[in-house]
Amino acid sequence: MHESGNGISRRRFLGVGSKVALGAVAGTGGLALPVLGAVRSEPAGGTNGHLAILFDSTLCVGCRACEMACNDANQLGRSVEEIFAGREAEDFHALAPDVFTYITPHMDPTGSRAVAFGKAQCMHCLEPACATVCPVGALEKTPEGPVIWHGELCLGCRYCQMACPFHVPRFEWHSRNPRIRKCEMCPSRRAEGEKPACVSICPTGALKFGTREDLLAEAHRRIQENPRGYVHRVYGEKEAGGTGFLVLAAQPFRHLGYPEGLPQTSAAQAVRPAMAAVPVVLNGLILALGASAWVVHRRASKAEGENDGKEESHV
Amino acid sequence: MSRVLAVLLPRSPGGWILWGLAFLALVLVGVRFAHGLGAVTNLSDAYPWGFWIAVDVLIGIALASGGFVMAGVVHLFGRERYHPLVRPAILTALLGYLLFIAALAVDLGRPWHIWRALISWNHHSPMFEVAWCVMLYTTVLILEFAPAVLERLGLGRALAWWREGAPWVVVAMLTLFSYAMTLSPVWAGLTFGLLVLWEGLMRAGVMPRDRQMPILLILAGVTLSTLHQSSLGTLFLAVDRLADPWQTPILPVLFFLSAVMVAPAVVILEATFGARAMGRRPEQPLLMGLAGAMPYLLGVYLAVRLGDVVVRGVVFPLLEPSVLSGWWWLEILLLISAWVLFSLPELRWRRNGLVLPAFLTVLGLVTHRLGVALVGISVPGAPAYVPAWSEIAITAGLLAAGLLAFRILAEVLPVYGEEPESQAREARAGGDGAGRLPAAGVDGGRRRALAAESASG
Repeated sequence: MHESGNGISRRRFLGVGSKVALGAVAGTGGLALPVLGAVRSEPAGGTNGHLAILFDSTLCVGCRACEMACNDANQLGRSVEEIFAGREAEDFHALAPDVFTYITPHMDPTGSRAVAFGKAQCMHCLEPACATVCPVGALEKTPEGPVIWHGELCLGCRYCQMACPFHVPRFEWHSRNPRIRKCEMCPSRRAEGEKPACVSICPTGALKFGTREDLLAEAHRRIQENPRGYVHRVYGEKEAGGTGFLVLAAQPFRHLGYPEGLPQTSAAQAVRPAMAAVPVVLNGLILALGASAWVVHRRASKAEGENDGKEESHV
Repeated sequence: MSRVLAVLLPRSPGGWILWGLAFLALVLVGVRFAHGLGAVTNLSDAYPWGFWIAVDVLIGIALASGGFVMAGVVHLFGRERYHPLVRPAILTALLGYLLFIAALAVDLGRPWHIWRALISWNHHSPMFEVAWCVMLYTTVLILEFAPAVLERLGLGRALAWWREGAPWVVVAMLTLFSYAMTLSPVWAGLTFGLLVLWEGLMRAGVMPRDRQMPILLILAGVTLSTLHQSSLGTLFLAVDRLADPWQTPILPVLFFLSAVMVAPAVVILEATFGARAMGRRPEQPLLMGLAGAMPYLLGVYLAVRLGDVVVRGVVFPLLEPSVLSGWWWLEILLLISAWVLFSLPELRWRRNGLVLPAFLTVLGLVTHRLGVALVGISVPGAPAYVPAWSEIAITAGLLAAGLLAFRILAEVLPVYGEEPESQAREARAGGDGAGRLPAAGVDGGRRRALAAESASG
């Protein structure tokens, strides 16, 4: 993936520069009391024009051409036989370091034939848990929308895996130099102006690539035009704070393997209050503990002044 | 040379076992780096954090809290009589953190990228806060322990440099930390201003200094520890697969309170068994004093912990029998028993009367941390995680290495040796009595009282 590639990105370069400038600015803040609101609260806006994928499961016939195209585009090295082999594994658990997307069949009540298909892949959240919790910003929510991994930064701490509400990122457990693996919406294809491999190859139009706004409007239009053919909800519009992979379905989403009951807030929102408290606690403690030490040592030195000459046991 | 060997070589079966465990861990770590984490762990994509995060990180760091609590109590809150307990506690904390870093190097998939945390900043990440706290607090612990080494080597001038330089190192570190955590020049400026204000007041002679330690150093230790202990709780706020009895917005507060709660318990155990191993007497009156704080510390933690499940309305599931509710009750019952035992004076005064409740307190904390990192985590549809023997063996080996290092350092460096004469006198005079020194001596306070006692004995 980005293992070697892009080196130090512009954002990071600026980051280093700003640290050099720190010495200059550190003193100037002085004792001005900052208000809590001065703590940066994150992006909120700026999701306009994010690239996204709409998956209309009612159009999917389960041909797995998308899986094969993904396998080729990302050089995942699986054979056609492997791709078509046993489908026991369910949903998001079926993803692997060499499986970025996976089509899950869902049977009719008799269990004899598949009536619908789900597509498991990275959801490209608007406020991704993985990118929020990554200590070094190795997972990045790009300004274009897709969430990508920077191997040159990754520590392999696997916090992204713990935090992802969709259980997407995969780790190479048997590698000496393990990578985090997941769908990145085909960055090299997009750089050449092409659509992600899975979208390009889809023969039935079940996958559509575009800006999130357009796709959401399109999804709601399809529901409106065919209200009896769809669940009246777009999966990913609100889940986990909104995702860049949107799903339409004719049956409950959980039947297709999408986790239901997720909060409508992102992981970023879950940790934000605690993280915002850090500078308050830091400076508050410096103030309070310094004051306490002052009072305590003043009392002690007075007491010592009174019975001078007493032997002190010392460091 | 032979003296070095004499210190290093095992002298008892216990010593041989420790060396054996450490060696086995070394071999397993070799396998891990040759063949990946999958070769020695049962970790999986569904359970990417397991035994090491629970034990080495969450439990290890909590049990190292003695260092900052004791240093703070003595140097910032003026309980000077506990001074003899500070140095062993700081050494324990330092070794604990070094072990933790070693464990992290094994657990991280790409540990050679660890320095990236210095230049690639994501201040929204609790793990970023953890990483910085570890780096900075370890540096602070090294600086706090430096006098023991410098004294031993007789480097008076280096000691003077240390006294002069340590506060400025603290100013630089905390200012950078403040900036890294906020990217706000205002916050960083405030941190810088406050620290320089205190140091300036001390240099101007307005504010008295501490005789032994630069106040800023202790202050930085307490501040960074507070943030580090709580940030380990913050880590799990982003983990939505953690079960209700543990997942709460006040997880960082619970982590901090329980770390403070366990600090005196760890110091009691360490002083008792450490003294026994070194053939000394424990500082029993001081330990009694620490034990006096335990009912309050346990009470506060229990009140917050119980209040939390009530406020969040998750009490009823805890009344139904299940593994989760059982584990939750285990924690509560362990801590309540510790609270009862610490609150009964007649039990406390018995020989070794502090050991049991201290041990129960540690077990209560261990139960909480295991609940957060292992028991409370479940991923439906994925095979369950059970630690591999090799995961446990690597942790055991690291711990063994830590114990060996502690014993060696405590022998070579003046860790306990701060008041050797009075100790010896006390030991000679003591008999059984020393374990039961009159309360007046303790409550009377300061070292003078203690010194007088041992002199009169």
